[in-house]
Amino acid sequence: MDRSRRKLLKAALAGSAALSLSGCSLLPRKSGFNPEQYSAAVGKPDGSFGVSAFDLEGQPLWVSSVDTRCHSGCTRPLINQLVFFERRPGWSLHVLDASTGKRLHHIEAAQGEHFVGHGVFSPDGRWLYATASRYEPGEGIVAVYDAEQNYQRVNTFELAGIGPHQITLHPDGETLAIALGGILTHPDYDRLKLNLDTMAPALILMNRRSGAIISRLTPSHHQQSLRHLDIHPSGKVFVAYQHQGPRHEMPALLARLENHRLKEIRFDDETQADLGNYIASVIAHPENDLVAAASPVGGTAVVFQGSTGKLLAKASIPDCSGVQALAGGDFLISSGQGKLVRFGANQPAQEIAQLPLYWDHHLV
Amino acid sequence: MQPVIRAFCASALAIVASASVVAAPMDGPQSARAGWHPAIQSAYDLLAEETNQLAEQASTYCAEPGANDRERLEQQWRDAFMAWQQVRFVDFGPVENNNLAWQFQFWPDPKNLVARKAGYLTTSDQPITADLIEQSGVAVQGFPMLEYLLFDKPFSTGKHALPATHSCALLTTVTRHLASNSKQLSADWHHFKTPYLNTEAYQASTIKSAMAALEILEERRLAKPMGLRGNGKRNPYLTDAWRSGTSLLSVEATLRGLQQHFLPDFLELLKQKGELQLAERIQRQFDAALDNFPEADRPMTALLSDDNAFRTLQGLYVDVSQLTTLVNDQAAVALGVVRGFNSSDGD
Repeated sequence: MDRSRRKLLKAALAGSAALSLSGCSLLPRKSGFNPEQYSAAVGKPDGSFGVSAFDLEGQPLWVSSVDTRCHSGCTRPLINQLVFFERRPGWSLHVLDASTGKRLHHIEAAQGEHFVGHGVFSPDGRWLYATASRYEPGEGIVAVYDAEQNYQRVNTFELAGIGPHQITLHPDGETLAIALGGILTHPDYDRLKLNLDTMAPALILMNRRSGAIISRLTPSHHQQSLRHLDIHPSGKVFVAYQHQGPRHEMPALLARLENHRLKEIRFDDETQADLGNYIASVIAHPENDLVAAASPVGGTAVVFQGSTGKLLAKASIPDCSGVQALAGGDFLISSGQGKLVRFGANQPAQEIAQLPLYWDHHLV
Repeated sequence: MQPVIRAFCASALAIVASASVVAAPMDGPQSARAGWHPAIQSAYDLLAEETNQLAEQASTYCAEPGANDRERLEQQWRDAFMAWQQVRFVDFGPVENNNLAWQFQFWPDPKNLVARKAGYLTTSDQPITADLIEQSGVAVQGFPMLEYLLFDKPFSTGKHALPATHSCALLTTVTRHLASNSKQLSADWHHFKTPYLNTEAYQASTIKSAMAALEILEERRLAKPMGLRGNGKRNPYLTDAWRSGTSLLSVEATLRGLQQHFLPDFLELLKQKGELQLAERIQRQFDAALDNFPEADRPMTALLSDDNAFRTLQGLYVDVSQLTTLVNDQAAVALGVVRGFNSSDGD
């Protein structure tokens, strides 16, 4: 990490004292696996990087150091493991003991491939499906690893498209949903976007055993980079875009899958402007009909009704990005300024904790 | 959360509304953008003019190569490159179309793609056409490729050196590509006026673009080659424009461009916020950095190998560093512009 990044981080933290709120069980249990703890990739004030877990009191449980900035990860069902992926272009993934943060495996990307920051396990915790890119030909793939065989690479599913990002598993346990951003990049060219005129983003549904693509759904505009998604236990799929056109264009940034098409959700102009054409996370709450999304570019988080797209709440949270569902119906939002904020449809956003680190993108 | 627990903890909970003050709308009157638009327009117009002359000079030289024409061509490359440096800070708007900024200047280039692509194109049998340049990627399409053809020492003593026919074809075709892009950019910026003035978010975009330019200047164009980061070794090849020995001239041009095209309306914004002293300090720091510019016409290689020259370079680095702190930390915070850990990531 260069000094500029460190300075940026220091500036971001300036004036914020570390705060942990011991004594209060402040956070409800998280929905889903490992309900007693949250984890995320982090940047540290000294300029280094890690993966950190914290408990329901907002207290850090452990910070595991990593050499390169990570992006997101996934929990291995039934087994107490977490997998975190390096930020794009990710040359490796880390398998961590979820209780201690101890690194159990360090798996390098296959020759000619890099990870893109996301993955998901099969329901039995055996197969890890990681989105990746074959960067010379620019081909998006799902790389399949066998967690029971020390994360050996066992299969590759072709996506017939460019720039996969987040991947998740449908509640049917059989279908992978993949957000295909559509943007061609190459490690030689930094983060240069090579194909903005011809990008073809899509939501891809794929059989997780055969790799057969079941459907491919495209946004209304080819520059809506479909990068993130989540699926409600009822099977409703929500996707989030990052618009690659000019800032003054303010198209829809969210959509739900309905009748085999993406029904896009656009808020009022002011809210659209507040979202800065960029959504970093979208989460459908498993206990209700609420969906939350966060935009670090706009410093804004929103909660809306999943079935109608009606905006219910909006909060200004600088550099917010990570979102998780809290048991009881609210959401937890994390920010690059170290904040954890509780946010729901019926109560104002509440700052739960401010920690001396920078939450990176996704809460796991 | 249980109501009891919520009540118990209520005193410890901060309402985010209070924390969000830093992200409150920072737009003042439209006047800043109304000033920036014509200022940037004039810089793009100059770039269009200089690259057009570069294309003409390249054709003249290749039609009848002579020592004087070669010298004029090299000088015209410098003039056009400096015109680009002056407006390079603008990283939003029309310059984002087709990766125009990358087409103008592919950098950083740690794998030396420019040399590799030049090696291929100057030796292949393929006719050099506008379409070929269009298809060959950003490492071929701009100033660094021309710089390689004009200034790279091994290339200039090899058998494909200018004015070899194939190399001349590459030179003239790339200059025309560059001139065409510049003309397009100037026209596009003109058409961009209405959305630019009417969209509040472009105020932050403009400020962030200057912040990013200063950060790149301080860290990647000065600190890294000076060995102030990483392994501590001085390495002139980490900066840009080392082949032509204009690294420092281009740093100066970037600073001057910011001073001319960005600073006046930026200072006005600060003054409107009541930050008179900060505005004056920033103005003085710009003047100091430019006044103290040391031996800017010397190549980075020379400045890094001579300890006396290096000390002068250190002085410049300190000036730029102080300027960056004033603009990127103090002024940006005063104006509510935050470049975040996540918001500047792009995933």
